Formats: sequence, structure tokens, C-alpha cells
Amino acid sequence: MADPPPYPGMPRWVKASGIVLGVLALLAVVLLHTGAGSHPHHTAADTPIVGSQR
Amino acid sequence: MTLTPRLRKFALATHVTFSVGWIGAVAGFVALAVAGLISQDAQMVRAAYLAMEVTTWTVIVPLAFVSLLSGVVSSLGTNWGLFRYYWVLVKLLITIFATIALLIHTQPIEFLAAAAAKPTAFSADLQSQQLHMLIASSAALVALIVLTVLSLYKPQGMTRYGWRKQHEGPAPALPWMQRT
Repeated sequence: MADPPPYPGMPRWVKASGIVLGVLALLAVVLLHTGAGSHPHHTAADTPIVGSQR
Repeated sequence: MTLTPRLRKFALATHVTFSVGWIGAVAGFVALAVAGLISQDAQMVRAAYLAMEVTTWTVIVPLAFVSLLSGVVSSLGTNWGLFRYYWVLVKLLITIFATIALLIHTQPIEFLAAAAAKPTAFSADLQSQQLHMLIASSAALVALIVLTVLSLYKPQGMTRYGWRKQHEGPAPALPWMQRT
């Protein structure tokens, strides 16, 4: 019986998706640690954002 | 284990229905998250977060679980298998991740709903939670759209396990499995 053909390897779309996902995860971790994009903390005494009707 | 054609169709129909429903429900959730975050109308904000809680528990969570379960049944009941093709494996991983993330986010959803139910003003302290809810639900929507695209395009590529299985024993591809 002939040997099965060698495994062709992981397809390119899986590798590309993995890289994109890795970069996004890294970005999320960096943003979480630097606090970038988060809002400054208000105290409860601050103006409520939805306290009034339009 | 291979399902009969009738059962296979039933499993696939269930999977498609619940998966598409999941996308629609999350899209509605994103709309509520936007309304809750940007609206200046206190009643609108309260209604949005209360509706988000109800939608999560009565619609999104059941849809997610049935979608996951029916997807596993559909895969295992056909020659696609669960670990043989990358697109099926990636779909499985994304669905599991999305379901776990959903369950984790039920806590902040309940927290916001509880805050919305209180008669006091909706404090600015909650703004980061509200923003987080919008980002998380938008990410979930993108992930679910990726799942749909994967299902439709079925990109090529076998896993090493699938390759070995294919060359181990006869698992002939059925006509409906052929790429068009």
C-alpha cells in the first residue's frame, strides 16, 4: 500500500486569522493596562449623565 | 456516527435558525447598549438596561446554547466532523468563546439593570460599564458574523487529525460536501 501524501500544513487563512487575532488581543491587553480609552472616574456627587429629560 | 439525511437536515435547520437568531438578538442588544450610553432621556436609559437583562436571559443565552449544541450535532453527524476541517474547528472555538464571554457578561448586565431599576439618578460612575457593554456586544456581533461567513464559504484546509483520518480509512465525501 502506498504511503499517504504528506500533510500540506495549516492553510494561509488560518495563519492570517491567528496573527490578526493575536495583534488584537495584544492591543486589548495594552489598552487595558495603560488605561487608554477608559473614561475618567467621576464621583457619585458628579452630575448624572442622564438625570434630566431632553 | 452519521445522521440520516432527514435528521441531518433537521439539525442543520435548527443550527441555522438559532445561529441567525443569535445574531439578530445581539444586534438588538447593541442597539440597546447604544441607546443606554448616548441617550439623555433617563427613562430611555432605564428601559434600555432593563430590556437588555430580559433579552439576555430569555433570548440570547438560550439561542447561544442551542446554536452551540446543534452545531456540534450537525458536525458530528456528518463527515465534516468536529476536528477535521479548520473552518469547523475555528467556528467551534469562536462559538465556545462567545458563549463563555456571554455568560461572564451576564453579571455586569444584571448590575446595570439593577442600577436602572433604582429610583435614583443613573450615575456617571456607570459610564465605563455602559461603554464596556457596547464594546463587548459589538465584538460579539462581529464574531457571530465571522461565524456566518465561515459557514457559507467553508474555506479549505484540513487539520492534521482530519488528514490522518481521511487517509486511514474510507470516509468518502458525499456530493453535498463538495465545494462549488
